[in-house]
Amino acid sequence: MKIPEIRTTSKSRISTVTIGALKADGGTRGSTITIGGQSAMPHLSFDGESPHPPVIAGYISDIVPDWPDFLKEAIGSEINSPLEWAQKAVEEFGVNLISIKLRGGLAETKDKSPEECAGLIEDLLKTVDVPLIIWGSGNEEKDRLILQECSQAARGENCLMGSATESNYLTMAAICKADKHKLISEAPVDINIGKQVNILLDDNGFSLDDIVMFQTTAALGYGFDYVYTIMERARSAGLQGDKLMARPQLCDVGEEVWRTKEATVGEDILEGWGEARKRGPMWEAVCAEGYLQAGADILIMAHPEAIRTIREIIQ
Amino acid sequence: MHSVKFYPSNKSVSVRSGTSLLEAARKAGLEVNTNCGGEGICGKCKMIILEGDIPDKVSWPFNEAQIKKGWVLACLSLVYKDLTVEIPKKHRGEGNSTPVSENFGEEDKPHINELHYKTLPVVTKIYIEFEPPTIFSGQADHQLVSNGVKKRLNIPTMQMGLKIIKILPKVLRNNNYKVTITVGLRRDIAEIMNIEGGDTESSNYMVIVDMGTTTVVAHLVNAHPRTTVDSASCYNSQSIHGSEVTGRMIHAERKSVKVLQKLLVDDINRLIVMLCERNNVDIKNINAVVCAGNTAMEHFLLDLSTNNIRRKPFIPVTVEPPPLRASEVGLKVNKRGLLYSLPGISGWVGSDLTAGILAVQMYKKKELGLLIDIGTNGEVILGNRDWLVATSASAGPALEGASVECGMRAEPGAVDKVFVESGIIKYSTINKQPPIGICGSGIIDLLSVLLNEKIIDRSGRFIDENRTSETGEANKRRFVLVEETNQEDNSIYLTEKDIENIITAKAAIFAAITIIMQRLSLKFSDLDTFYIAGAFGYYLNIENAINIGLLPPLPLDKFKFSGNTSIKGAKLAAFYQEAFNELTRIRSATTYYDLLGADDYVEEFKKAMFLPHTDIDYWRAIS
Repeated sequence: MKIPEIRTTSKSRISTVTIGALKADGGTRGSTITIGGQSAMPHLSFDGESPHPPVIAGYISDIVPDWPDFLKEAIGSEINSPLEWAQKAVEEFGVNLISIKLRGGLAETKDKSPEECAGLIEDLLKTVDVPLIIWGSGNEEKDRLILQECSQAARGENCLMGSATESNYLTMAAICKADKHKLISEAPVDINIGKQVNILLDDNGFSLDDIVMFQTTAALGYGFDYVYTIMERARSAGLQGDKLMARPQLCDVGEEVWRTKEATVGEDILEGWGEARKRGPMWEAVCAEGYLQAGADILIMAHPEAIRTIREIIQ
Repeated sequence: MHSVKFYPSNKSVSVRSGTSLLEAARKAGLEVNTNCGGEGICGKCKMIILEGDIPDKVSWPFNEAQIKKGWVLACLSLVYKDLTVEIPKKHRGEGNSTPVSENFGEEDKPHINELHYKTLPVVTKIYIEFEPPTIFSGQADHQLVSNGVKKRLNIPTMQMGLKIIKILPKVLRNNNYKVTITVGLRRDIAEIMNIEGGDTESSNYMVIVDMGTTTVVAHLVNAHPRTTVDSASCYNSQSIHGSEVTGRMIHAERKSVKVLQKLLVDDINRLIVMLCERNNVDIKNINAVVCAGNTAMEHFLLDLSTNNIRRKPFIPVTVEPPPLRASEVGLKVNKRGLLYSLPGISGWVGSDLTAGILAVQMYKKKELGLLIDIGTNGEVILGNRDWLVATSASAGPALEGASVECGMRAEPGAVDKVFVESGIIKYSTINKQPPIGICGSGIIDLLSVLLNEKIIDRSGRFIDENRTSETGEANKRRFVLVEETNQEDNSIYLTEKDIENIITAKAAIFAAITIIMQRLSLKFSDLDTFYIAGAFGYYLNIENAINIGLLPPLPLDKFKFSGNTSIKGAKLAAFYQEAFNELTRIRSATTYYDLLGADDYVEEFKKAMFLPHTDIDYWRAIS
């Protein structure tokens, strides 16, 4: 019996995005990372190629996150200093790049000024030589100022800035164009808005080739299936010729997983669920692994054990 | 009791303590704009308190200057003292007091003639000169008249009420046996409705009514010859009980259908009186009222329960009511005048749709056509002479000018076109009157212009701070089309909220179109004709409608703007019995597809919530 030909050929490729700039390119990074370029769905190597494997970004925050002790212990005392934390993530956890969240900019936390935030970015660029993903505080108004300062401080370093939404895309596009950064386009678990933000950016002359899509991430058990299908549909549309969706995708796994009860609370609350110390990193790893299947190119992760597991899977 | 005096109408009314200003105004017979039905949501029923005061004033949606001047929302303002109140021009629902002729006549005459119908109007008048009886050839008066009419009209069965039989001897003999007989057709049976002396064939008037959820339109027509005399429209007064039919059905269930019937019948009566007065027509010469409207509206008109229409499986009481005496529902026309409530399809697809299908004649054509009726309920019909599928989607009233702050119906003074000339945004108004608001076609144009000029982005947000201004509310901006410097709040503008309502309306309709096409595995390119109906008055710029994604990007010559097809179809049915009968045929040939069962509707709707559409490549590839 002849085996039928079942190969699916894609009409287009996912765009290739490089983050970070070497000295020769006007930056100071010791390495850059390149993602995207796929011509097939994840793991379907017989359909096409996936030239650039997914990468892991180390989760760093400028203030200590409200995390369980076992996670803080796993990271070590370095968690109290974003610079030391980032250094450890690169050197010991083996992440490919650093994702820094400037939560300290919020009025409810430390109400740091945009200048203070930019100062930290400058220091971080000196401390580690991997590429950076820079997020604001989470307050849209304040982030206009914070991200503008940080963008200038990292000018020429070809960072990935987070993030452009329906309501702030004009500012974000202007900032990233001026300082030559890549941009995350974010949508609230809505594939249509995801596409719309890209159209809005494109309409404003921001090159689609400089975009990484972020459909918002859901932890396992908290709408994971929604996000999974959205990412899969986005990737599938991109491969079938929808230029607007043919972009690499990012998942913020660490942020979401470490907010869930299932990953954090002990056996005293979840009876029979096993030790949180083991369960937590497994939860993060399983969630991240799921998103790899859906088409994630960048995974932001926190627990060193989970990072190690996923790194092995990718390799 | 407190007295409330309204300016500029100078009407006073006395009301109980705690009555809202909105109710007081209604009691005084004044029309006030409101979309939410008096729930403090739409912010349209603005009034200014000149004397007196009310407790618990609400500051929204006013600026400081307005609050100081005494601006209030009528629905949220309760009367506890004697008051003197001004209703600003823009916030008066003027329809009932100053109706306006809309486009008809020249435009629909060739349309009707080219259809080659030959049969009688639903009510016909015939002048007969009978041979006076002799001793050798004598028939009873009743039989003489009946046989005469049967012979002339070729009608087998005839009936005559006792009231008419009683007056026969006098009318025949006083007029030398030269009389005009009014014959009404009640399905297959003809009824002699009246007999009068002399030849009055030429004054056989009928009123054709389109009972829209938001707008009621009436045309005064003469059946001999078949001409439209005049037309008038008003906003549907039922809107005080909700801008969509569901809200009204709930109200009907809680209170009674009669409340809604009265509001509707009063609207129609006012329009009839107005049309008659304007054209010197005796109301007694109106022999028929022919009504088209959505099924709920028809139920309200006939005082029928709508309880089951809004509940699964959505069953109406009737979709084909028999002809009735118009006086039975309270319509003030000739006492024996007939009311024809046209046949609809289902609980959610009414006779406005069957009338629309009749008007564009798509059920007779081999080619594939799609008809959309842009109203509060957007309706879509797809098909040809072999099959018809209909669906409907709740769009909201934005494209009829309601739920848009400066919106209005298509009448004189409404901005109906907006365009760019040498880099400047310009507009024109209906009848070149000074601008007082913006109607559906102007709204579509303006949105398209704002998009092209990059004043809004594809999400409908303002992105040009220099060409928009602050509204006074935090982070709220608006685009001012017509600046009025001397009188505050008289400028014509569009807010982001307005734009959102417009996008929602167009998305609902477009999603309905997409789904019905998908269900039948058809592509837009398979369509031969795309008919567009709606209360747009004279004009709709197809290119702009495509640009905002209300319509798919097809070659312009495929589109046919058909105006108010509900009233056109109802008129055809009134003028030609053959056309009337075809409505029944259309009714049984049309399948209704309920979007409530379409689990991809929300997805398609979200895709369309963008300008023109999230699948923008399709627009770019074609246009």
